[in-house]
Amino acid sequence: MKNNERQINAVRRTVLKTGGAMIGAGMLGWPGLARSQTRSIAVTCWGGAYEQAIRSAFAEPFTKETGIGVNLINNADLTRMKVQVQGKNVSWDVFDSIGPQIMTGAREGLWENIDTSIVDTSGLQQKTGADHVGTYSYAGGIGFDPKRFPEGKHPTTFAELWDVKGFPGRRGLRSRISENLEMALLADGVAPDQLYPLDIERGFKALDRIKDSVRKWIETTPETVSLIASNEVDFTYTYLSRVLPAQRAGTSVQMSMAQTLNSLEYLAVPKHGKNTEAAMRYVAFCLRPDRQAAFCNQVEFAPNVPAAMDLIDEQARQRMPDMKSPNSIIVDDGWWGEHYDALQHRFTEWMLT
Amino acid sequence: MIYFLERRFALLLLLPLCMLLLAFFLWPLGVVAWASIYDGGFTPRGYATVVGSGLIRQVAVNTLSISAWATLTSLILGYAIAIHLARLPARKRTPYLVLVMLPFWTSILVKSFAFTVALGTSGIVNQLLGWISGGAWHLEMMFNRIGVIIGMTNYLLPFMVLPIMASLLSQNPSLPLAAKIMGAGPVRIFLRITLPLSLPGVAAGVLMCLTLSLGMYITPALLGGRKDMMLANLIDFYTRQTLDWNVASAIAVALLAVSGVLMLLLTRFQRDRGISHA
Repeated sequence: MKNNERQINAVRRTVLKTGGAMIGAGMLGWPGLARSQTRSIAVTCWGGAYEQAIRSAFAEPFTKETGIGVNLINNADLTRMKVQVQGKNVSWDVFDSIGPQIMTGAREGLWENIDTSIVDTSGLQQKTGADHVGTYSYAGGIGFDPKRFPEGKHPTTFAELWDVKGFPGRRGLRSRISENLEMALLADGVAPDQLYPLDIERGFKALDRIKDSVRKWIETTPETVSLIASNEVDFTYTYLSRVLPAQRAGTSVQMSMAQTLNSLEYLAVPKHGKNTEAAMRYVAFCLRPDRQAAFCNQVEFAPNVPAAMDLIDEQARQRMPDMKSPNSIIVDDGWWGEHYDALQHRFTEWMLT
Repeated sequence: MIYFLERRFALLLLLPLCMLLLAFFLWPLGVVAWASIYDGGFTPRGYATVVGSGLIRQVAVNTLSISAWATLTSLILGYAIAIHLARLPARKRTPYLVLVMLPFWTSILVKSFAFTVALGTSGIVNQLLGWISGGAWHLEMMFNRIGVIIGMTNYLLPFMVLPIMASLLSQNPSLPLAAKIMGAGPVRIFLRITLPLSLPGVAAGVLMCLTLSLGMYITPALLGGRKDMMLANLIDFYTRQTLDWNVASAIAVALLAVSGVLMLLLTRFQRDRGISHA
């Protein structure tokens, strides 16, 4: 009996020792980890080519420089972020997302203020709020099939997209009010530099004009290209980051660069995070001109740090919208943050009637 | 005593299921119900929005009408398929059953995209129609109510076919035989014997299809036009885009209540029938 007990105890000790040794070895393996308290941070992501570019331009170089690992979390959404912050049990350290989500999160008070002693926001082209930073922008514009609609047959500006007699064809627009309202006002003759604050009544009147020519109010982004490819619509509001990969895959699709709406992607750091300082360092790292250039060389985004422009290679610069042109409009997410809910509600009602 | 033990044993067997339902169904449901009345303090705002908003009313009417139509088409198609399957010998039935189950195994997103290929302007059906008519016939089956109903019917069919087939198979085969001997024709046999006896299966199928379609989201969004919005889309809008969980929960609870009432009515109808037959 005694013997048995001793044996069991011995086994338990060995297990404990080995386990402890394994954990210890793991810590020793990373000298950087022992120094900084943090082992790794979790950053939300969008998967696909975006994830690959994030990994090679930001995540891996960041780990190499600071010793802090970066886990990329795909399919993250604001709902779960809110639950984490509310429950004070935050497992995502940096939230990477588009304007509407970041602004809603800001309104709900989910984000920590950006620590300006770590993150230098003075050099940003598009200034953003106190609790988030804009990283890079993606261009949206008019998509079409160049085989079916050669030069001169397809609309290049939003005024032409609204001209259903001059450019006959089935339209496909998104089922949300942001971007549609900008397009409607530009089509109605508002000068790009006078666009904000948006003239809501005039915008909805302009939307009335195109309502019946829109065959599909598109719910998912991939459809903005696939509906052109399957010849179900002729002109869509689509994104360069969808059109160029489709082109490379052999689809006959093109986007007009004559007039574009450019939306920023943002980073924010949630409150009650366990690695807030490391998260701020990651945000600062992402705004470095060399990192911005490395990222924009790989995917169809334009940097929000002007100094990065000189470091971007010629080929990548060619495909980017000319951000100095007045026809490269930057979507004002701050304005939308205050108006989106009410206007989307009104837009949905407008669609149902 | 034996009865008592058996009963205790049965309760024990039911315990894991009850725990599972409690943890993953009743508890979250309670949270939703709570969120519909509590938003940093008790508030009637969620339900006031549900009652007062023309948008939500309009979408609720849409949801009910789309669900009713999709259930009806599923019933007509599903009944025909179920009769055919029930009359096949068991061995031949299996491959057909696999075909019926096929929609279960395909992602709803993939299926909805595939419908573009079949139903679109240059889709298979329209090409065939154009070929038959020399280009004169053309059907708009995408981005409107028809597309939504077709897409939903495709998804709902198995839920209709299986219970109806089960109730057809459980019928006593000597009943139609007896009726035939007495001189009844096939139509009369169907109307007086097969159909009334299969009604429990029909009720079960209708119930499932109706409940499922009330909560549908992706199919209407991909195949519908601008007027085919369903309540689930609105719930998603309030949950994910505006983070207004109070209103989202209130809509969800209202939808649940409507489904609950529908279910109650159907089961009552079925029970009344059962009694009158007994």
